[in-house]
Amino acid sequence: MLRKVILVGLISTMLAGLTVMAQEPVTIQFWHSMSSGHQPHLVALVDEFMAENPNINVELTYQGSYGDTEDKVNASVVAGNPPTMVQLYENVITPLVEVLYPIGPHMTQLEKDDILDGLVENNTFNGVLVSVPWNKSIMVLYYRSDLISAPPTTWAEFAAMSADLTVDLDGDGVIDRYGTGLRPYNPEMYLNYVVQNGGSILNDDWTAVTIGETEGLEAMQYAESLVPYSFISPGYLSDALGAGQVAMFVDTSAGYYYNNKAAVDNGYTMGVSRVPAGPVNAKSAIQGTNLVVFDMGQTQAQKDAAVLLAKFLIRADNTVYWSTRGGYLPVVKSAYSSQAWLDYVADHPEAAVEAEAMVDGFAQILHPNYGQMRSVLGSAFEEVLLGAATAVDAVANLVIELEALLDY
Amino acid sequence: MRRPKLSIPYEWKSRSFWLESCQAYLYLLPALAILAVFTFYPFFSAFRLSLFKWSVVRPPGDYVGLQNYTKIFADKWFWNAVWNTFYYVAVSVPVTLFLALLIANLLNKPLKMRAFARTSFFLAYITPLVAVAMVWSWMYNWHFGLFNYILGLFGGSLVNWLMDPKLSMLTVIILSVWRFVGYQAIILLAGLQNIDKMYYDAAKVDGATGFRVWWHVTIPLLTPQIFFVFIMSMIGSFKVFTEIYVLFSGTPGPLKSAETLVYYILRKGRFDGTQLGIAAAASVFLFAVIFVFTLVQLLVTQRRVHYQ
Repeated sequence: MLRKVILVGLISTMLAGLTVMAQEPVTIQFWHSMSSGHQPHLVALVDEFMAENPNINVELTYQGSYGDTEDKVNASVVAGNPPTMVQLYENVITPLVEVLYPIGPHMTQLEKDDILDGLVENNTFNGVLVSVPWNKSIMVLYYRSDLISAPPTTWAEFAAMSADLTVDLDGDGVIDRYGTGLRPYNPEMYLNYVVQNGGSILNDDWTAVTIGETEGLEAMQYAESLVPYSFISPGYLSDALGAGQVAMFVDTSAGYYYNNKAAVDNGYTMGVSRVPAGPVNAKSAIQGTNLVVFDMGQTQAQKDAAVLLAKFLIRADNTVYWSTRGGYLPVVKSAYSSQAWLDYVADHPEAAVEAEAMVDGFAQILHPNYGQMRSVLGSAFEEVLLGAATAVDAVANLVIELEALLDY
Repeated sequence: MRRPKLSIPYEWKSRSFWLESCQAYLYLLPALAILAVFTFYPFFSAFRLSLFKWSVVRPPGDYVGLQNYTKIFADKWFWNAVWNTFYYVAVSVPVTLFLALLIANLLNKPLKMRAFARTSFFLAYITPLVAVAMVWSWMYNWHFGLFNYILGLFGGSLVNWLMDPKLSMLTVIILSVWRFVGYQAIILLAGLQNIDKMYYDAAKVDGATGFRVWWHVTIPLLTPQIFFVFIMSMIGSFKVFTEIYVLFSGTPGPLKSAETLVYYILRKGRFDGTQLGIAAAASVFLFAVIFVFTLVQLLVTQRRVHYQ
């Protein structure tokens, strides 16, 4: 199966490349948010693409953070002059769909079937695969393996272990180490619990808010029960881990390098496992962006070339290359059975955990107001974590605020 | 009663007047062009945008009249931002000005290493704000911060400066006061050095000393500088943003306790681009507030400013 997919991918890329080669040279712009750590690997991939397709020139432009890139893309769309290809989050793609060139219709069924199922759904707008997933990460459990021999696998175990690991080491009445850490501005921590409890933010057709139902409320109450044993941090928890202030926490796999460095630099050892399972499942949130091609003044040759680049970047061998160097995860199924990935996993056992979680992950909803919804989710989560509201009150207010954002 | 004839100003009849005027406008043209593009056009666009439900693909979207204004006035987070902004302005402006006055007075005395002292105070203002805010965020750190260390030396308990909603605006105010006091002190110092010695001699002759001289001679003659600093400080304070963004790691503080109007505008306008009309409405509101306050200040203080 793997060989078939790679063969089809290579042949279709070459055929498309030959078609493009037969035409005039074409230049496309690819705006990205990959900073210094990731950029060399992206440049290497794009150089390889251009070597395979000598008539295509790719202008890579770093636009800053995801937020900066989104601002610039929106401004360029208003100006009527967007780049050929960009990486964007799903909620930013939704209002732009009508000016995008769908990538799916230019892929073979085999190529589309090869994309991880949850990610296909997440890039499908009005029944069409408009964009393709690219740099994806999954939420996992980081834990200090010098303190925890067997990581928790259920909500109950996680809560009990968090309580046991919360200690005042020097007896001065101030907690020196918390069992876990929670980040108010990372509502994905709360969404994990919602989905693991069988809940959702909205119903399927976005006409009603469902997070206020039993599943969503119980998820918030579970988070509330963890507060006494949690280090509450506005920023990433790697600093707290390195300072010995937390024993374990759930966060994105893309932070592995920073978390591991913080642990190792301070004499600890760190392990990675699946997030503890909830009553219904053990899903965790998938984060990261997707590739889109614009259809707003671009020539057909430019659009075809950009589609070719997108397919190249998610080809099994290339998504493995990108993932193993960038801290992301492959976005196509065939990549997970490739020798390159298997060799990588043999040396990096955390990758196997992340890969298993990825197949089972859930992505953000496509509602055009999701950015604002996420902000509101974060506020409700924050109120509970800081003790400003009970779970019941916070969820009740959350429902009201989300209902105000249903209309778009 | 006969109506007076409309008369053209005498200088308008002069060819050289028009030549000089054209020359002057030509010199002003580059600056005016930049201002027109980057200040006047966005300024008027904000008014227009505030009346539309923004659409990225079909700008400016659907006309909704004053709906964006009713939405922001019905948003509890908008009023939270208004309250935080007014709290910040009400505390930071007078405190900074008062401390700047004291420091300017000290720097005006014949101290040893006076030049070094003046430079040191001004350094806070010229150091890049992002770097300053990053260092201060570590100084405020609950476990490792300098402030909690000092508190501990005096037997105080640890204060969660950056995660306590009741303290978050105070942390921003302390940082802002530290940052701007030197700049304001330098301006006031220039004013102090510009006061004619004859006023002090006259006061001395009348037997006035110390505080009375300061209150009845120095302060009235310093009012032009105080007025300038006060207005500029107030206008700038209404627009506070960067300190908050960096101190709280890109968030508006715990429970949005440090979210000011500018931060609210950013939050509404940035995340997914569909709320740009609402952000524009909030920015028009901010403009109106600053305009009214500045006007009131001008009317109230104009008679109290004493020009030499």
